[in-house]
Amino acid sequence: MSRSDELLGMTGRDLVASFPRRSLTADQDRVRIRELAAREGEYVPASDALRSRLADPLPYELYAHQATALDALDAGENVTVATSTASGKTAVYGLQIARNLLDAGVLAPDGSRASEGNDASTALALYPMKALTKDQKRNLDGLYETLGLDVRVRIYDGDTPSADRRAIRAEADVILTNFQAISVYLGHHDKWSRLFSALDLVAIDESHTHTGVQGMHAAWILRRLRRVVDYWGGDPQYTLTSATVGNPGDHSAQLVGDDVTVVDEDGSPRGARDLVLWNPPPQSKAEPDESRADIPETDATDTGGSDADSLPEGADTDGEEQAAERVPASIEAPRVFAHLTAAEIQTLLFCPSRKLTELAVERAETFHANNAASYDARPRTEPYNAGMGRRTRHARETEFKTGSLAGLATTSALELGIDIGDLDATVLLGYPGQRQSFWQRIGRAGRGASRSLAVMVADHRTLDQYVIENPEYLLDSDVEDAVVDTDNNAVFVQHLRCAAEELALTEDDAPALAERDRLERAVEMLRRSGELEGYLDAAAHYAGTPRPQADVSIYATGDDEYRVTLAEDATLGRELDIEPVAKSRAFRDYHEGAVRLHDGQQFEVTAVVDDHPQPFVELTPVDVDYYTQTRTTVNVVDADSERSREVNGYTLHQGTGTVLVEHESYDRVHIGNGERLEQNIPTDRPPVEMQTQLCWLEVPDRVETALVHKYREFGVETGMAGDHPPQLGYVAGLHAAEHAMIKTAPLELLVDKNDLGGLSTLVLDTHMTLDDETTRAETVAAAERAIERRAETLNGVSSGWFVYDAVEGGLGFSRAIYEQFEALAARARDSLRDCGCGRPNGCPACTFDRNCGNDNKPLLRASAVDVFDHLLGEGSDLEAHLPDEAYGGERRPSIFYS
Amino acid sequence: MSEEPFELLSLPGRAGRTLARSALTDAVEHADPDGVWIPDASPEPRAYAAVRDAGSVPVVHPQLGRTGEQTVRHARANGELTRVDADRAPALDVLTVQSPAMLDGLAGSFETGARTAATDRTFLVVPDLGVETDATTLSAALTVGDELTRLQRATETPLTVLAGELPAGYRHDWMLDGVTVPVYGCGPPSGYGETPTFATLRCTAAGTVAPTPMRGDQFGLRALAGIGATTATRLRERGIDARGEVRETPVRELADVSGVSRANAERMHAHAEVLQSGTPLRLSNETLPVTRDERPPVCLDIETDGLSPTVIWQLGVYDPHDDSYQSFIERETPDEPGRIIEAFLDWFLATHADRTVLTWNGYRFDYPELERFIDKHAPHYADAWADVWTYDLYKWAVRDGNALLPGRTNKLDDVASRVGFDGADTGLTGAQTAAAYQQFMRTGDPSLLDWERHERYCEDDCRALWRVYAAIRDADRRATTDTVTDTGGTQAGLGDF
Repeated sequence: MSRSDELLGMTGRDLVASFPRRSLTADQDRVRIRELAAREGEYVPASDALRSRLADPLPYELYAHQATALDALDAGENVTVATSTASGKTAVYGLQIARNLLDAGVLAPDGSRASEGNDASTALALYPMKALTKDQKRNLDGLYETLGLDVRVRIYDGDTPSADRRAIRAEADVILTNFQAISVYLGHHDKWSRLFSALDLVAIDESHTHTGVQGMHAAWILRRLRRVVDYWGGDPQYTLTSATVGNPGDHSAQLVGDDVTVVDEDGSPRGARDLVLWNPPPQSKAEPDESRADIPETDATDTGGSDADSLPEGADTDGEEQAAERVPASIEAPRVFAHLTAAEIQTLLFCPSRKLTELAVERAETFHANNAASYDARPRTEPYNAGMGRRTRHARETEFKTGSLAGLATTSALELGIDIGDLDATVLLGYPGQRQSFWQRIGRAGRGASRSLAVMVADHRTLDQYVIENPEYLLDSDVEDAVVDTDNNAVFVQHLRCAAEELALTEDDAPALAERDRLERAVEMLRRSGELEGYLDAAAHYAGTPRPQADVSIYATGDDEYRVTLAEDATLGRELDIEPVAKSRAFRDYHEGAVRLHDGQQFEVTAVVDDHPQPFVELTPVDVDYYTQTRTTVNVVDADSERSREVNGYTLHQGTGTVLVEHESYDRVHIGNGERLEQNIPTDRPPVEMQTQLCWLEVPDRVETALVHKYREFGVETGMAGDHPPQLGYVAGLHAAEHAMIKTAPLELLVDKNDLGGLSTLVLDTHMTLDDETTRAETVAAAERAIERRAETLNGVSSGWFVYDAVEGGLGFSRAIYEQFEALAARARDSLRDCGCGRPNGCPACTFDRNCGNDNKPLLRASAVDVFDHLLGEGSDLEAHLPDEAYGGERRPSIFYS
Repeated sequence: MSEEPFELLSLPGRAGRTLARSALTDAVEHADPDGVWIPDASPEPRAYAAVRDAGSVPVVHPQLGRTGEQTVRHARANGELTRVDADRAPALDVLTVQSPAMLDGLAGSFETGARTAATDRTFLVVPDLGVETDATTLSAALTVGDELTRLQRATETPLTVLAGELPAGYRHDWMLDGVTVPVYGCGPPSGYGETPTFATLRCTAAGTVAPTPMRGDQFGLRALAGIGATTATRLRERGIDARGEVRETPVRELADVSGVSRANAERMHAHAEVLQSGTPLRLSNETLPVTRDERPPVCLDIETDGLSPTVIWQLGVYDPHDDSYQSFIERETPDEPGRIIEAFLDWFLATHADRTVLTWNGYRFDYPELERFIDKHAPHYADAWADVWTYDLYKWAVRDGNALLPGRTNKLDDVASRVGFDGADTGLTGAQTAAAYQQFMRTGDPSLLDWERHERYCEDDCRALWRVYAAIRDADRRATTDTVTDTGGTQAGLGDF
């Protein structure tokens, strides 16, 4: 493959000009090109930061940020290096380890080993995924070879043969492993006493990935590690490497529980980059049916853990479909990918799901075939994702690096620093949901100072359209914060069991592990449940079921997981390898009768067994022409306010409560044409109760009264047919406002909107805890009846909406929303007001949410904008809309929209 | 406290239903309880029938009671635990209710004087009682705390509650609105995976309940080495349903059973003989661990403050060579765990460094914990200790398959008493001795602990270990046969025959 060293074969303009257009005319608005300026490298002689033993053999100078980080490490500080991909972050901790080994006398000045063993200085490097571990071992080995140092870098994880383990523990200078694995190894830390007692450095690679649920677990695993290392006398420094996040200092400090110095002035050079924001053309009538039948299933992250189905497969776009007038990104992006690779531009296509990596390669090939006249070459492209075997993945990495593959269609698996060599271009199938991830992905392209190309093909989802309309959002504002919430008690308790099993808990564990009061309460709870014995003032010993570490799954917070197995009488001809699913997902996706696609095979759920020590679901392979879509109802009960504040007359609360989620029925949907073959088939599953964190907004009576009056004539505009109560126009606005709030939350926070849920209601107060009476209900319908009864007995109820963390125990997201409510409200309002859809009830870009439990009805943009305007103190005069006589003659219906 | 302790066999319905008849009979015989309780919250008629069929002890399962018969009363009198209908005031009382909903009524009957409480202690069995935890708010509560409070107030004399939803081994003193109620679990012991489990509960007038957990697969045919669930079923199909029948069946016939190799048949046959005779049998030519100069090993046992020890507070060493016992006990500074470790090593390395050390299951607990404390608190002795020859007799005999032992279980107590060891019967368990030391650690008050009794407990274990060692040493060695060639060498793991 020929490459220009100086110039990329294709600029953004070239791409637009050369891309085959069939019947479509050029549409200036739908493709925008921005040129991102090059960045000069900033270099420092290696000898400024390193002793000559290390500086002399280095064939290059250091980037300024590497030197800064090494100086800070030398001063004994913990350091986070938050700079771009390929900016030499690994070398920072690699060099610090080298300094430590020389200082401790483990290595002689000539680089040979001063003695056989090493109980003087060790290091532990923690990676978010196994593939990265192997890659970084190659990097470190390469560095030490260059330096002429005999450093023993060893991988130790689930793949390490047991025969090798003892020797690695006895000999290694540096052990590379992952979080899930180290959590398990802490359970028998006495075997690691040599490593821990001499531990001088803990490196946390790609630390920005530890956010949300995984971030909570990572933070606790690091606290457990610190405690055990401290027991053995080690006192390590922490080095974190991170992609750019909004809050690298806070995030790192939360993660490791200590102060961390941030180094984020990137000294590595970067070539200029053309960024093409590509909105697909309007869907022509002649478009093949495949675009409509497309199921944009998404994997939030593809790190090879138990995340294969992190997002609902029910990411079906019903409701969105009618409004989808553009070609979906899942069709258009593979075409761009095909076009680039045909021009011998080495390209990565980032896809939101494993399934789409496969489909995209097929579609790219189809595009080539259909446009054979335009292209000389038939480039090879392949899919890449963490669902593939290690050998396949490694082969594709190598083929791509050597140029025999022109393109890889990948999930987020290649977002992190796996070495696949340099490449020219990236194509993003849809906006990845976060700026952090966006920059990380397009940052994969670029060869030194040469020019590179990045194309983001927008989908018709809200975020994509927002980003297309507001490119400054991408280009001019800071990337999202990474959220690590160590206040989550459900996760804390899981790790406290482990900590107690590792070393009995004592008074000395406060405050390092938790504040004294919190620790005592947790110990008391576990003592009562029989899982701990003894007291903190002597020692509290673990007494629960053996190996609590095995129960920690860093991808979910709940305790219950369902195994997924093949039905006894079913045959498949291969092993069914599906990770266990969390209870909430099992209830949604694995009810009896559900049809699931796995590895190209359809399965029907034929049994769900709950009353078993290890609950499980059974699958039977089927071949049917439909998939199933679950219908869900949700309500909030027993909300308990912990704090509140006034915002322009509105009251905002934050607290805890119970969310009842009932996946009550499902539809059979034809795969080919999306027709509903059968609807409302009962699942016969009880509601899932989730104790979680909430935040909610109370609209002041005056605003409510005026808006109800103002929008009292609205009916069919909201998407609802038939008779309607006078409040419909107003409550449709609350519903739209709640959707918009959740949909725009990822713009401010590093949060997946699927981790949030919402409920808008005219009878907010009835969802609260009253007189310690809890709303126990067999079904959501029963809870709703109870709420209705309660509404009739209450005076002065108010309206508003809830936003809750859709994970047992809560993740701290609704807490963050409470704190940043005004900023989020302003964004939500802008997206509602400025959407060009021209529809009163909005469109997928402004109001429709794919997780809506009410078919995206009723929704009304105008009243939602009014609700936000008054909240933000920018509302117009209400007087005109207040009814003449005192309002209140109409009964307030108990209606809720989730 | 005038009354002797009594023993309940708490046998959950699942175990009663699923165990083979012979295994159930065996379990009841082995436990030899004063009564069998089926603590389930729903009716278990099959389990009830099976237990009644298995022995002549009283069986209590209130879920099968007729409507109205919702509380069952047993009294301890004349050394027997018997069901009583008439109301009198015994010293010890066992009340069994059908469900927690009965508790208010029961309290009422004490309040009105319709019932009179036991003079010493009332044990209350409540099938449906458990603990509800809420990790989000870090809270845990008994499902019927208020009812128990009322009942404890009404009975005046102390109450001990046995809860069916909590595993045997659970124990917590619940502080309930001014009264303290000790709650013990009587559900299946946890931590044994899928195996059905149950437990005997030794209940004393002082209100303590000491559980002995048991596994379903340790009884009947399954008690024999080499018989798993499948083989047991196949043997039963051949009409071989008891260990005695295995003993009386020729090895050749046992080997005819599908899936049973010749070597396996020999082993089960031999084990049946061993259990019958009470004499161990050595299966291999492996020598028992001894030192070079032919002096016997010293027997070591340690006591800690719990399963993740912060202190090894007692080390006992019995030397059979001169029948001496040496112990090291931390009576003053439990927060300085290095002192006793160092004292032990000073003595041991000076006087016994050339001796082999023997433990029971020490590779799983004693040795790693000792090594951890030495690494941490006496690192200068770490290498010297690593050079000491340490053995685990349990591992050598059971896990490595060098001997068949005559205990129903392979717990040291069981095996030692079968080979004729008559211990001091301190009445303590490992968990109790740990809990007692924890109490001392918290209060710093040495008078709370009966030091001598705890010392005897440790010494007992050391001497028991020696008795088991001696019994194995003196045992017959199974004659080497040509079964290795018989099985074509495929039974590599059993090549010792």
